[in-house]
Amino acid sequence: MRDNANRSGSMPSTAPHPPGATGHLLPQAGEGRARRLQSNTRPWPGRRRRAAGLTQRYGHLWFVLPGLIMFLTFIVYPMASAVWLSFFDWKGIGKNFNFVGLANFHQALSSPGFYRAAENNLVFFIAILIFQHTIGLLIAVQLNARPRFMQVYRTILFLPTILSLIATGFIWTLILSPNIGLLNPLLRQIGLGFLARSWLSDTTFALPAVILVQAWNLLGWSIIIYLSGLQNIPQELRQAAEIDGATTWQTFWRVVFPLLSPSFTSLTVLTFIQIFRVFDVVYVLTGPMGAPAGRTDVLGTLVYRTAFGVGGMSSNDARMSYAIAMSVLIFLIMGAVSVLLITLLRKREVEA
Amino acid sequence: MNKHLRRLAVLALTTWAMPALAADQVTLTFWHNHPEWKDRVQAILDKFEAENPGIHIQLDEIPGPDYTPKMNTALTAGEAPDIIELQPGPQMRAAEESGYVLDLTGKVDLSALTPSALDAAQIDGKVYGVPVFGEYTVGLYYNKDIFAANSLSPPKTSDELMKLCGVLKAKGIAPMIAPSQDGVIPAFLYMLSASSILGPEGLNAVRKGERKLTDPDLVVAAKFLQDLYPCFEEGALGTPYVEGKALFALGKGAMMEGGSADYAGFTQTNPKINLGVVPFPAVPGGKGSTVTGMEGAFAVNSQSKGQDAAITFLNWMLTAAPAQMIADTITLTTNKNVSPAHNEVMKEMVEASKVNDVRVFYEFPEVGDIYATAGTNSQPLFLKEMSPEDFAAALQATVKPGTK
Repeated sequence: MRDNANRSGSMPSTAPHPPGATGHLLPQAGEGRARRLQSNTRPWPGRRRRAAGLTQRYGHLWFVLPGLIMFLTFIVYPMASAVWLSFFDWKGIGKNFNFVGLANFHQALSSPGFYRAAENNLVFFIAILIFQHTIGLLIAVQLNARPRFMQVYRTILFLPTILSLIATGFIWTLILSPNIGLLNPLLRQIGLGFLARSWLSDTTFALPAVILVQAWNLLGWSIIIYLSGLQNIPQELRQAAEIDGATTWQTFWRVVFPLLSPSFTSLTVLTFIQIFRVFDVVYVLTGPMGAPAGRTDVLGTLVYRTAFGVGGMSSNDARMSYAIAMSVLIFLIMGAVSVLLITLLRKREVEA
Repeated sequence: MNKHLRRLAVLALTTWAMPALAADQVTLTFWHNHPEWKDRVQAILDKFEAENPGIHIQLDEIPGPDYTPKMNTALTAGEAPDIIELQPGPQMRAAEESGYVLDLTGKVDLSALTPSALDAAQIDGKVYGVPVFGEYTVGLYYNKDIFAANSLSPPKTSDELMKLCGVLKAKGIAPMIAPSQDGVIPAFLYMLSASSILGPEGLNAVRKGERKLTDPDLVVAAKFLQDLYPCFEEGALGTPYVEGKALFALGKGAMMEGGSADYAGFTQTNPKINLGVVPFPAVPGGKGSTVTGMEGAFAVNSQSKGQDAAITFLNWMLTAAPAQMIADTITLTTNKNVSPAHNEVMKEMVEASKVNDVRVFYEFPEVGDIYATAGTNSQPLFLKEMSPEDFAAALQATVKPGTK
């Protein structure tokens, strides 16, 4: 309001400001200082005076600008255009655009395939979570005891995490293959031949096999996060517990584990985000359709398949806009769940 | 310091001057979807470059399953190569409607094309993409060594195939290699099985809506697919197409559904492989069948700076010399004046296709979605989670008579 008035000149620019008017523009805490600034600059014409004040107040914002432009161009703009595209029936090729409103969202939410994929993601997430909070934590505790060659162990355990799952996933397909794989002959050699099977074609074992490969890949993360949490726990607290007569077990459960809750929170939320957007490991191990018969189909493969069509020969069935609508839905749900997880888990965190 | 600067300056100058020096040389980018043919395609391109010194073609081979997503994204982003390979039919039409490809009508000489290739090259009488890298006919490959060692002969009917399947399984040999992970092979098996009953006229009737895939005599095709599943190699559901091809080439199974275009890949993996090819066995009420499709249609990017050079290339590809190289080293040619000179398997394939050859469904707009839907639903069908009737109904639901 005041801005416009000044620019159009309908209000004398030197007119005294009503008391507290600056409060609209400036943060409450800085009001006192703002008044002082104003009184110092009184001889200046109004516009320049306020401009100078703004520069002093907000000058630092210029430093945010480059980052902000990048953020707007590469994150906000693509996301906004994705949301925009999700209201159409675009196939991903061609110029046929028809506005369909929320039809894509409605179809996604009423499609059994969407829920089946989401359910597989959920099973995936819970399994990985259990794996990380048990095996990952156990290994981190062992490493924290600083055994000999600790650096070597840590490096070896972290190696799978830095390798691309596309490459290592391919090696796992070779290990698990019933025709040329290593695992089945190995099982037969050690007398466990009855366990040998077509891992990635078995309706019961395909998803566990994929989960195992992902767990192997992510193990390094949980170890590093827990290890850093463990190393932040002051030694005095453990010593105090020991002096009070606590057993090792009691010390771990009553002192160490509660202090690890920040690690628990971050690991849980990171895993949630990672697993609900999982794609590469499934694509490499069981293909774009989540073989066998969709048992390993996750949201990532479903979106990919919908966006680009099934099978390399044709893209007749590609539905880019529908796929984007699914992605937007997944984004909204994941955002909401992540916030909820953080809020709930933060409540139980303890400060060391 | 000065020395470094001087070196840098020289380097900068040479990098800047390089393209200028080669200004009279046109470079065309070309994406193709068969990494296993790379050497053979490159040999053809080398011959072209030797005859057309001003034009250089930069070949980029992209694995089949990744090709379409990559090409579609590049087209939308305006980053597609100069020479664009798309499937004839609905895909080419979409590209043409969006202005991605050049109108080639009257600019290319189509007089040597086979009738089906000529048909595939045209959309409403206009030409946008030409099938110059051959066509493929799909039938049933069999490993001659395995068949001879067990004194068997290739099956003519589905009943014979099922009997053969029992015999081979009893001997511990995988009867059929049918990698089903990505849906490609199951979709082709369905097209073959349905074509056995339909024939070319039957497919036209489906396109017009006069016949339905749910007709009881056609549900037999889906039923046969379900019966055939126990004959597949171990772990077929989790095996990708490319791995399956390698398994068959290495003699890990007796038969595999495959196309003329697959032969080059088989011999690339195992030069000693001894293969024969017959039509896909007749299902009850049908004839032995093959299906034929174009190995893509090749268009010129409407934003290409080397449009004339690209048209020169397409016209050269339509002549007999490259067609002969394709017929002898890669797959069947779309040139009606050329036949494979010393490629016995290709000759067998030509013979096989004389019985009952049907065009692949996805080149037609009305039935274009059957292929993908068959791929998606094949695993539930194999596992009996879906009945042949429901499978056929799901496919029929995608048929849109009257679409262009």
